[in-house]
Amino acid sequence: MSIKTIDRIENLDEIPVEIAEKVQESVINTFGSIIGEELSYIDEANGDGALNGIIGNVTVFNSEHTLSLMLAIPKETAVYFSEVFIGMPLPFESDDMGDLIGEISNILAGDVAANVEKVGFRGQSSLPTATRGSDLTLFMPNKPPTKKMKFASANSEFWLTMVLSESK
Amino acid sequence: MAKIKALVVDDSKIMRSAVKRALNQLMIAEFEYVEAKDGEDALGKYNEEIQIMFVDWNMPNMTGVEFSQAVRAEGNESIPIIMVTAEKSMGKVDKALNEGGANEYITKPFTADKMHKAISDYFDDDGNIATEGEDEEEDKSFFQGILNS
Repeated sequence: MSIKTIDRIENLDEIPVEIAEKVQESVINTFGSIIGEELSYIDEANGDGALNGIIGNVTVFNSEHTLSLMLAIPKETAVYFSEVFIGMPLPFESDDMGDLIGEISNILAGDVAANVEKVGFRGQSSLPTATRGSDLTLFMPNKPPTKKMKFASANSEFWLTMVLSESK
Repeated sequence: MAKIKALVVDDSKIMRSAVKRALNQLMIAEFEYVEAKDGEDALGKYNEEIQIMFVDWNMPNMTGVEFSQAVRAEGNESIPIIMVTAEKSMGKVDKALNEGGANEYITKPFTADKMHKAISDYFDDDGNIATEGEDEEEDKSFFQGILNS
């Protein structure tokens, strides 16, 4: 199913496979470039447990639809990302860590926006936000089409939840 | 090595640090940095001493493209504007270069090598900013030298 054929998001049971594949491709390419390690998609490893870490939020949107991307990054992986991104480990509790994860989310959204355009979803990315905490669990109201994916490399693991909803 | 005053505009302090770190690694000039957190902040800090600018696109208050347009609208056509952004679609690249008046476009994440490829043409061997006029003069004297030999 192409995004062009979507009339009402609530009629969808799941995110169109073309979009899910493009987002997966963007995650692997973007994080591969940032950390310099081969990244793998871990199938059927959704990680429903609570997160002790940081969540980067960003959307790719147009007037009709919004694709929300939520990166759930464990504390150890976030510190590792800071080491490879800026050359030194950032304290997990620092403001700079929120800045870093926001920027990584922004970079991912830029790649996703360019990639999903190839399958008909033309949109722009929002400004990112980051939320740090322990025992974090993501809940989506109204149950829009959602897909949760796990990715891992030699020194990192994280989850991406994407949600497709109508733009309000 | 020449001293160059560079304006680095990004709402992320981490990214401003990453840009500065990459530029320092290049060793093509001795950079002195002025930092701004968005286009509006950058307009307040921009002056004739700034010799090159590295500008993010997606920022609150005023985007990088809007800032670049404002600089060009003031009549400054010669200062190199390097757009450093996560925006990757061809439409965005085209908009930055044509509507925004940017000279170069670097996508994040970037390496020092990627930065070097984008900006090396804007520096001469001594690390000074090579303006188009200077290039033309060098070209003229180069060809004149061939003719005279």
